[in-house]
Amino acid sequence: MTGDPYSERVRALFDAPAHAGVLEGSSMVTVDDQGVRVQLSADIGDGSITAMRFLAWGCPHVIAAVEAVCADYEGRAVSDLDVFRAAELMQSLAVPTEKSGRILVIEDAVRSLGAMLRGISGSRH
Amino acid sequence: MSSDKRLVYLDYAATTPVDSRVRETMAALLGEDADFANPSAIHTAGRRSGAHIARAAAQLASLLNTQPERFIWTSGATESNNLAILGAARHREHRGRHLITMLTEHKAVIDVFRALERQGFDVTWLKPDERGVLDIAVLEAAMRDDTQLVSIMHVNNETGVRQDIERIGECCREHDVLLHVDAAQSVGKLPIDLSSLAVDLVAMTAHKLYGPKGVGALYIADRPGVHIEPIMFGGAQQRRLRPGTLAVPLIAGFGQAADIASEKISDDLEHLTTLRSRLWDGIREIPGVQLNGDLETSYPGLLNVSVDDIEGESLLLALEPLCVATGSACNSHKQDPSYVLRALGRSDSEAQSAIRFSLGRPTSKSDIDFAIKQYQNAVAKLRAMAPDRAA
Repeated sequence: MTGDPYSERVRALFDAPAHAGVLEGSSMVTVDDQGVRVQLSADIGDGSITAMRFLAWGCPHVIAAVEAVCADYEGRAVSDLDVFRAAELMQSLAVPTEKSGRILVIEDAVRSLGAMLRGISGSRH
Repeated sequence: MSSDKRLVYLDYAATTPVDSRVRETMAALLGEDADFANPSAIHTAGRRSGAHIARAAAQLASLLNTQPERFIWTSGATESNNLAILGAARHREHRGRHLITMLTEHKAVIDVFRALERQGFDVTWLKPDERGVLDIAVLEAAMRDDTQLVSIMHVNNETGVRQDIERIGECCREHDVLLHVDAAQSVGKLPIDLSSLAVDLVAMTAHKLYGPKGVGALYIADRPGVHIEPIMFGGAQQRRLRPGTLAVPLIAGFGQAADIASEKISDDLEHLTTLRSRLWDGIREIPGVQLNGDLETSYPGLLNVSVDDIEGESLLLALEPLCVATGSACNSHKQDPSYVLRALGRSDSEAQSAIRFSLGRPTSKSDIDFAIKQYQNAVAKLRAMAPDRAA
């Protein structure tokens, strides 16, 4: 018998991805690897992320994961992007291990966004 | 149940529900006073059970216009395919070890030929044209002096494409080669007259035609040279070709399902043709939608479509509560693009986004309208979420 390949949380995030979209005029990164495309955009203020949005082409776990990332990072310090761990996200969403490469693409995107935002944040001081 | 929780089943090529009359036939054989005896026994009770088997064989024979004694009961089409291919290849091995089949066959056929390859048989794998149809000239060219068996499916389980079994059979007869047909997707769904077809072995199953799961049959033509070896051993039942006590309620259910199919086959085809046209008309205008297969040559209960730049697994989830099949050979570890669609020339991406809608007797116009709306919405949602490729 085949069990449900998606956890309840993955289903909920996939069904209602509140952070899907683009923040026009904001900082934006795109990573295309492992058959997955992820684009992140974010607005910052006083060293914090005020809004974060995504576009993604990938399986339901990828879409759910990147939605979870955006929801989680809004309101947090830009520096927190540097400590993002794909493994923790995979565990919390019960992502199968064979999809770890796809989730690491999200980690690459988050780290790239962090580096970009730090540069912007630094240039404002 | 509220409309947003509505479950719409369009996966009838995978399996069908049991018809109520089939259920009644089977239930009558499972009661306390039912004919429970072993149908191989020669006592009165055994003969009573045997009468149910004989009746089922007559019903199936009537559907396919052949003689009742031509059938071997099995557990389903997978076993029937195994028995036919392994049995025929081994029986004719002394005459030659060359076999022919197609790249687009069901795994129940492909894996058997792979096993024979490992045992030293030489298998030619034929490629269909871009519609999925086998060109008879391609088959003709593959024939060799040592060819012993050709196995071609009647209706493809993914695309619904029909092969020209009549001409394939004629070609095989000209070369004195046995023809096995996997007809799991066509028996009870398309008119089949075995008395006029040059086929030697035909695999079928009950659960694709509103019968029970766990029972199938293998037709073996009454013709010189058509013999197979058993692949199971343990008794004299069924001419020693398939030993084991017969499952009387399941076989009786299969017979009843065949009887109902005989009665409904024309109405079913008209119903399915109307509904598939409605479905295709509803989704064909979506940009990037592509038909896999060919409407003219395919069984009308099936529609397989791909769509540009959509991830297949996400599409399948976004289509819920619509129950359809993906074009991927999906298991818990990985999703591979359909080998059937790849053989038709589809790219990995096209094959991976394929959805198979398969319609059945209970499918209604409102089910089709719901499917159209779900497909349109799912494609729109995923496209809105996707970054540009060039970004």
